[in-house]
Amino acid sequence: MTAIFSIRDVSMRFGGLLALNRFSMEVEPGSIHALIGPNGAGKSTAFNCVSRFCTPFEGDILFDGKSLLNEPPHRVVAMGIARTFQNIEQLYRMTVLENVLVGLTSRVRRYFPFAPGVARARAEREAVRDAEEVLDQTGLLAYRDTLAGELDFGRQKLLDVSRALACKPRLLLLDEPAAGLRNREISYIDSILVDLARRRGITIVLVEHVMQLVMSVADTVTVLSFGEKIAEGAPAKIRADPKVIEAYLGSEAVNA
Amino acid sequence: MYGAPARKQLALLSLLVLAGFVLPYVLPGYFLYIANLLMMYVILAIGFDILLGWTGQFAFAHIAFYGIGIYGTALLQLRFGVPFVIGMPAAAALAALIGFLIALPATRLRTVYLALATFAFAECAEWVFRTWESVTKGSDGLRISAPDIFGYVVGTDGRALPVIAIILALVLAGTLYLRHSKLGRSLCAIRDSEHVAAASGIDVKRIKVIAFTISAFYAGIAGGTYTLFQSFVHPDGLGVWTLVLVLTMIVVGGSGTLPGVILGVVLLGILPEALRAAPRGLLVWQEFAYGLILILAIMFMPRGIWGLIRGGARARKSPAAPRQRAAGALPREAP
Repeated sequence: MTAIFSIRDVSMRFGGLLALNRFSMEVEPGSIHALIGPNGAGKSTAFNCVSRFCTPFEGDILFDGKSLLNEPPHRVVAMGIARTFQNIEQLYRMTVLENVLVGLTSRVRRYFPFAPGVARARAEREAVRDAEEVLDQTGLLAYRDTLAGELDFGRQKLLDVSRALACKPRLLLLDEPAAGLRNREISYIDSILVDLARRRGITIVLVEHVMQLVMSVADTVTVLSFGEKIAEGAPAKIRADPKVIEAYLGSEAVNA
Repeated sequence: MYGAPARKQLALLSLLVLAGFVLPYVLPGYFLYIANLLMMYVILAIGFDILLGWTGQFAFAHIAFYGIGIYGTALLQLRFGVPFVIGMPAAAALAALIGFLIALPATRLRTVYLALATFAFAECAEWVFRTWESVTKGSDGLRISAPDIFGYVVGTDGRALPVIAIILALVLAGTLYLRHSKLGRSLCAIRDSEHVAAASGIDVKRIKVIAFTISAFYAGIAGGTYTLFQSFVHPDGLGVWTLVLVLTMIVVGGSGTLPGVILGVVLLGILPEALRAAPRGLLVWQEFAYGLILILAIMFMPRGIWGLIRGGARARKSPAAPRQRAAGALPREAP
């Protein structure tokens, strides 16, 4: 199979810091691809380049053979790439339903917003139906009318995923969906991710520190350290790679 | 059903129109004037809040668009004999157009820089109203003659009240529909997180420009409404003081919520009238008092009175619910 999504020799610099150094990765369609690495390795920067919050100074990012670098952030979503955020960013003063409806934005047809009308009624009816379907899948339907800011931490993370899913993405970028969650919640995320990839064919790129999740769901793991790719392969192989262990634990651990 | 306002809300609006027709026979003239004034302030404040409380943009040019609405409607009628029913929408459209043009550069700025740039524009506009004497009569003020609407002469407060009530009801209905629309959600999403908005497929810059345009249009309508019950306009009423007044109304009532803004307008709109009986020595402190109220409200009541009422109601409904996050009335990126 050929890759649906590829990052090619992307470099990104913040002042004197080289956050990404000729970083490349290829993602197979329908796979779960984990991107791991110590703090500051450049994982979130890679995501921010893909969702176009940052522009790399060299390299290219291709989705379906098309370059993303000429697209503004909202167009990337329309192309089929959705993302979640590491430090849960939420629409705190809007309800759970509204959060998901915002995720649907690029799929809701335009209508005159100041008055009732047929086009409006149809667009909103369909949008609410789709939103409730997503909430049902992620188990948040019972919280439909709760303000997002009033949800507990675990459910806020789920809401972030729900909002991203509402974009009907073909590629889903998840930035630490399991960080700070309890074991039970992690296995719930685990089952949702597997379901999305295996049953619905959504390609997932996952940045994660929770190795329990990475090792159980990922088909491929890419390891970043100080902006450079140091290893890539199946989870079992990565776990045993001395270079990866060194990056995480320091060289002392390898010698010992 | 989510995508439309509740029946109850629309029923309240028809009640408002009904009151507009009945009150002139019930209340004495002075109270009718106050009612007109408050209704106009509601339109002005809601327009401001769409930009400030919904979209989270600290833009302070609102009073300039209000001025454009007033002078536009009045001058179209005085100079060219354009009737109110055409003149007011035309003036509001002009305000919206200028709002749109201001938004193109302004949406590149945020927080303090946006506030300063838009405030500077508002000061320029006030200067134009004051200095362009051949058109606006400058600081002599401009006398406005009572408009007539299809033969209905709006000469007194009592005759203006039903017209203003209808305009306000239409504006409120439009606002309710906007709140429950795709565009309304996009505005609120930008306030809560520009990143999430962009990552959800919202063209943040374009939607901000639309918010500026809508906000300016509302200000223009408020300005047109002014000409219905006031007989005189002076640039003094289009300066910082009016900005602070409307800002205080929004923040004290509860920014980002329709009932909150209406509550704020009523409370702070009545206050100066109630204080009119106070001795002269006290009256000079009025502007100081408003500034103080604004600061205290921001510090101790960031979600406004309506936020307190709603917060209390929510807490009683679900005692087990976690404590409300202290998301302030103002956007999180605020300095």
